[in-house]
Amino acid sequence: MALRAAVLRHIRLPVQTLTATGSRPQPQWSFLRLFSSHDDHLTKEEVIDRVLDVVKSFPKVDPSKVTPDVHFQKDLGLDSLDNVEIVMALEEEFKLEIPDKEADKIDSCNLAIEYIYNHPMAG
Amino acid sequence: MSGATAAAYLARRAAQKERVRILYRRALKDTLNWAVHRHLFYQDASDLREKFEAHKHAEDLDTIDKMIAAGEATYNKWRHPDPYIVPWAPGGSKFTRNPVPPSGIEIVYDYGREDNE
Repeated sequence: MALRAAVLRHIRLPVQTLTATGSRPQPQWSFLRLFSSHDDHLTKEEVIDRVLDVVKSFPKVDPSKVTPDVHFQKDLGLDSLDNVEIVMALEEEFKLEIPDKEADKIDSCNLAIEYIYNHPMAG
Repeated sequence: MSGATAAAYLARRAAQKERVRILYRRALKDTLNWAVHRHLFYQDASDLREKFEAHKHAEDLDTIDKMIAAGEATYNKWRHPDPYIVPWAPGGSKFTRNPVPPSGIEIVYDYGREDNE
């Protein structure tokens, strides 16, 4: 037991900060664990990036036209049913449950980004 | 006179469009509940889309109402008994799992030992 303590006192392990691409930027303090789930809310840039990725990967959308303030029906020429499909895809991406009335009102990227950013449970 | 009826017509059409959108949304989620595997879901989703697109250009208000009612009846018939609900949403598994404790409650850390201090 004392031997183990003595060995452990002398071992030095290099601290490695794992930075995988696309993950949340973990600060340099890799020993700090965020046990609370209340302070890891999404940043606005992350929300914008993910929303634009979802919209761009929609088959009926031209990816070069997608900007953060594009309107689904007016600018991208989509149908109202396509709008419903995009909102469902966003729900799946961010693990949200949007009520039907609210989902009906999401018409453009602006509204989508705002809604998701202000949602407390956006994953 | 015609302005009022045109406005009423448009209002009714708008309400019908909203019903159609909500019906499509619910039917799509239901399709995802039934067809969990993605390739099956895409197939079923495109079939559903075809069904909605077939009646896209209907004009008469009453036939549209009947079609929406028939669609909602089909939806109610095919609803999944155990749908996937996001855990923190009502009906999900984590809903009110850790409710916020009522305000005014505080922890007494030395209960029973106040006299010994």
